[in-house]
Amino acid sequence: MNTTRRLAILPIAALVLAACQNGGTGASPADGNGDGNGNGTVDISNVVCVGEATTYLDWLNGDFEPDEPDPIEEPSDTSGDLLETIRDRGTIIVSTDPNYAPQSFLQPDGTFVGFDIDVATEIAERLGVEIQFETPDWDLITAGSWAERWDISVGSMTITTPRKEVLSFTQPYYFTPAALAASERSGVTSVDQLPFELPDGAEATTLPTDANCAEAIQAGREEFDLWVSAGPTIDDAINRGIPVTKVSDAIYVENLAVAIDKSGPPHDALLYEIDRIIGEMHEDGTLTELSEEWFDGEDLTQDPDE
Amino acid sequence: MTTQAGVSPRPEILEQIRAAQRRSRLSFRLWFALTWIGLVGGLVFTLWATGNIDLSFIAEWGPFILGGAGITILLCVTSIVFATILAVFGAIARLSANPVINGVASLYVSLVRGTPLIVQIIFVFLALPQLDIRIPAIPAGILALSFNYGAYMTEIFRAGIQAVPRGQREAAEALGMPEHLIMRRIVLPQAVRIVIPAIGNDFVAMIKDSALVSVIAVQELLWRAQNVGRQNFRSLEALLIAALVYWVLTIVFSFFQERLERRMARSDR
Repeated sequence: MNTTRRLAILPIAALVLAACQNGGTGASPADGNGDGNGNGTVDISNVVCVGEATTYLDWLNGDFEPDEPDPIEEPSDTSGDLLETIRDRGTIIVSTDPNYAPQSFLQPDGTFVGFDIDVATEIAERLGVEIQFETPDWDLITAGSWAERWDISVGSMTITTPRKEVLSFTQPYYFTPAALAASERSGVTSVDQLPFELPDGAEATTLPTDANCAEAIQAGREEFDLWVSAGPTIDDAINRGIPVTKVSDAIYVENLAVAIDKSGPPHDALLYEIDRIIGEMHEDGTLTELSEEWFDGEDLTQDPDE
Repeated sequence: MTTQAGVSPRPEILEQIRAAQRRSRLSFRLWFALTWIGLVGGLVFTLWATGNIDLSFIAEWGPFILGGAGITILLCVTSIVFATILAVFGAIARLSANPVINGVASLYVSLVRGTPLIVQIIFVFLALPQLDIRIPAIPAGILALSFNYGAYMTEIFRAGIQAVPRGQREAAEALGMPEHLIMRRIVLPQAVRIVIPAIGNDFVAMIKDSALVSVIAVQELLWRAQNVGRQNFRSLEALLIAALVYWVLTIVFSFFQERLERRMARSDR
């Protein structure tokens, strides 16, 4: 169902494209079609690109509802729990989206590496089981109803109120600042130059995942010039030579946690155990170490609100 | 001067005509090959000349993308086997005088041929779990492909069975052969010979259609190419590799299919 929804984006994207072509033509500054941009602003397409199943779209629409995980208590009865199934199987199956460097990306031998991969591997190790990765589309992971195809998501998922209806979350294992990037083509270097007030008035082009936005900018596509994504994702794109500039500091901070499908078998014990392991990894410095390794020496594991 | 009727023309003239024909055939083949080499070479050179092709990327990631061809072939070979089994039963049912059996088979063919393959693939993967039917990605892909091609091949088999001369069946009936034996021993073996080239054709088509299975995260050729391309921002190279592999696979299988077709035609002479 979700993939169908994803496919439905194409005509919407086409409409948005048509709309922005009426509004103004690409990067050419003030070509006199009466858009009425203020002084110092640049005439760019009023369209922002976001990953479809991300929270950035909600944020643009003003519907973003960041949330905290529910309190997690040690369950008294663990029989039939997903934790038991995993221990009996000897393997935990973790979903990952390999389009999300530096959190998760492919190696030429077909294995995955990245911050999320290392965190997941460490969790498996502390659970005493082997790890196996599945690669469903990101929108399938956030939508719940995993059909028991994988056990947990260690995929930098932001805790939000709507997601909490279908997924159980552990405590956050790290925090990323969401940021705004602009294509170099647009000439925008600061958020103050934008011809509209964010988040009002911004139209969104939604592509399946964040990396599609960077890919589209690099390919020279002109549907949009702005891109909302996680700070580290934008930094990674810049490091890889994608012609984008980071034009804002953190517009908000995302709490990123491990998620388990609520429609699956009982998982109170698994949730408790993984939450405990994450607490342990925060305390013994494992998470800090991994963060510094993958995010250019930055420690993103401390809650900026505390 | 009169020429004798019935005397063949002088052998050296015949030889000259044959040589001219050979030369013309040879020159056709030569120019045909040169055209292909020129076009493909020109395309490769143009791509290379743009300076946008990263050969080190191809060297690094090529083997991983190529590895997807194994999964593509596994999907297709397994699916064509299941589809053939489905098609044999489907065709017999389609020709059945029993209205219920005939109705079931006709509904199957109509339903499958009337809905897009990509919808069927996504349905098996995403919709069936809601009915507590959970199928892992690769078997889900095989199921959808078999189910889909089974319907198209049902029609091929039906035509094949109908193409077996009526006299064959009548002769068997006259000998007192029971109905199910007539189908199994007389009609089907002859029908299979007729439909094998068409099945080969479908197999080649399936190699290309199997790319649709990438939407349910089966790590076949297209999935690998898309993900590797996106992650490294080198979609041009990655998709070129995938397209080339599909092309080579279809050329190879078409070659075998053509030979099979010629072999099958031999007994018709």
